[in-house]
Amino acid sequence: MSIVTPHGPRLKVIAMVLAGGQGERLHPLTRDRAKPAVPFGGIYRIIDFTLSNCVNSGLRRIFVLTQYKSSSLDYHIHFGWNILSHEMGEFIRCIPPQQRTSTSWYLGTADAIYQNIYTLEQERPHLTFVLSGDHIYKMNYRAMLDAHLEKSADLTIACIPVPKEEAARLGVAVVDRDSRIVDFREKDPDAPTIPGSPSLCLASMGVYLFNTPELVRQATENFKTAPETERDFGKNIIPHMIKQRAVYAHDFKDENRKPQKYWRDIGTRDAYWEANMDLVEVDPLFNLYDADWPIRTAPLQYPPAKTVFNEEGPAGRRGLVLNSLVSPGCIVSGGHVERSILSPNVRVEEGARVTESIIMDDCTIGRGCTIHQAIIDKAVEIPDGTQIGLDPEADKGRYTVTTRGIVVVPRRMHYA
Amino acid sequence: MANILLVEDDKNQQILFAEELRLDGHQVAVVGSGPEAIQAVQSQPPDLVVLDVAMPQMDGIEALGRILAENSRIPVILHTAYGTYRESFMAWAADAYVIKSSDQSELRAEVRRVLANRAKAKNP
Repeated sequence: MSIVTPHGPRLKVIAMVLAGGQGERLHPLTRDRAKPAVPFGGIYRIIDFTLSNCVNSGLRRIFVLTQYKSSSLDYHIHFGWNILSHEMGEFIRCIPPQQRTSTSWYLGTADAIYQNIYTLEQERPHLTFVLSGDHIYKMNYRAMLDAHLEKSADLTIACIPVPKEEAARLGVAVVDRDSRIVDFREKDPDAPTIPGSPSLCLASMGVYLFNTPELVRQATENFKTAPETERDFGKNIIPHMIKQRAVYAHDFKDENRKPQKYWRDIGTRDAYWEANMDLVEVDPLFNLYDADWPIRTAPLQYPPAKTVFNEEGPAGRRGLVLNSLVSPGCIVSGGHVERSILSPNVRVEEGARVTESIIMDDCTIGRGCTIHQAIIDKAVEIPDGTQIGLDPEADKGRYTVTTRGIVVVPRRMHYA
Repeated sequence: MANILLVEDDKNQQILFAEELRLDGHQVAVVGSGPEAIQAVQSQPPDLVVLDVAMPQMDGIEALGRILAENSRIPVILHTAYGTYRESFMAWAADAYVIKSSDQSELRAEVRRVLANRAKAKNP
């Protein structure tokens, strides 16, 4: 965006969305795709939430920094997000590693920025948002930008209160009365709690707003002096910056507007399943249906979802869908679907029973199958009569089974 | 005294700057282009690179990125007749930016300063 400040000058702002996450703990959902490209909620990809936040906030100059297994993500961005006006200086552009300043993969968040120093050079924005393409939340970045300018900050970090136990896997900020960050602990289980709330810590959401010159200085300094394991904002740059620069926390104002603030890093398969299952609740924690903060994705060209058969009597075939999200193109043909998410173009055949499961695009659930608490990745044909999620031992021999007992069937799995 | 790699495409300037640095006791190896500089850094990393910017084939800004990609710890001084490259973000990764002059005192002072910083970083 270009924004006109109260003082008059027009400032140029861009977003760099880090989309190189491998998402190893989501395997096999990340076997063929980067974490931001993992499908979510039937029709979305995880990156859609951050991109929707950008567009809804008026932030329309966006670089998506890809690297690992980026083909699915590239395709999605290219065909799904080709919505901005080039003539107006707006863009969403995927940038693969340029290998001009390093010969390795991005070693961390700061390294990803350093390796894209020529991309920043091309645009020379005054302010740069550094965002993660891995997180699910609704946020107005413009409010954060206003706070950043108001405080004359060098860096502003969006923060959310989280249970103390989460401190071990997040970055935790300690702030003074003016919201200035005075201490920062990365993945420290003993990180200080919020004064007056001994069970809560103030966690960084991985949403950063930098004055660009400061970002460039910090990223180059980090590249030249930090060990390879610390080419990261949380581990190195932020703890270093808070001593010398104006670094402020920005209290996350949730556009989801529920009593509990919603921000998720879908790190594990169980967390993934749970976050999806939330969506089928009568009043889910995360609202996809708020027209004031729309979440968009690649447009779908499919016929309407359909259920067929409504025969009387106990032996009668009935296509039934209860408490579920059903995407376009699906046909539930005499099957029973309950508390589940069907992505586009799924078939559920006669007598099949699908409960508490996530079924991705182009899958067919054959006749008489029982599928319970499973994640079935794209384009799998489940043969007639298959049972998944009923016998943990049998499932373990054949599929990935999570700690919680969710069965994950990989994309294009073939049954003999 | 240090091993310095001087990257300079102009023959006369090669002699002038190399001799000046040698007078301060440094060992100076000279190459005439960015790609040669990268090769030199690969085969025998110097203690310091003095890097011209306006060169044919590959400019010093690009060469700076590639030299640091080989070895991010090598100090680099950009040494150019033009002030405008200072604005390039990549140039900010250099340890110093010196405008070429007939008087070499600034270059020599910056070489001393950068080498001292490097020694401090090695043995804090």
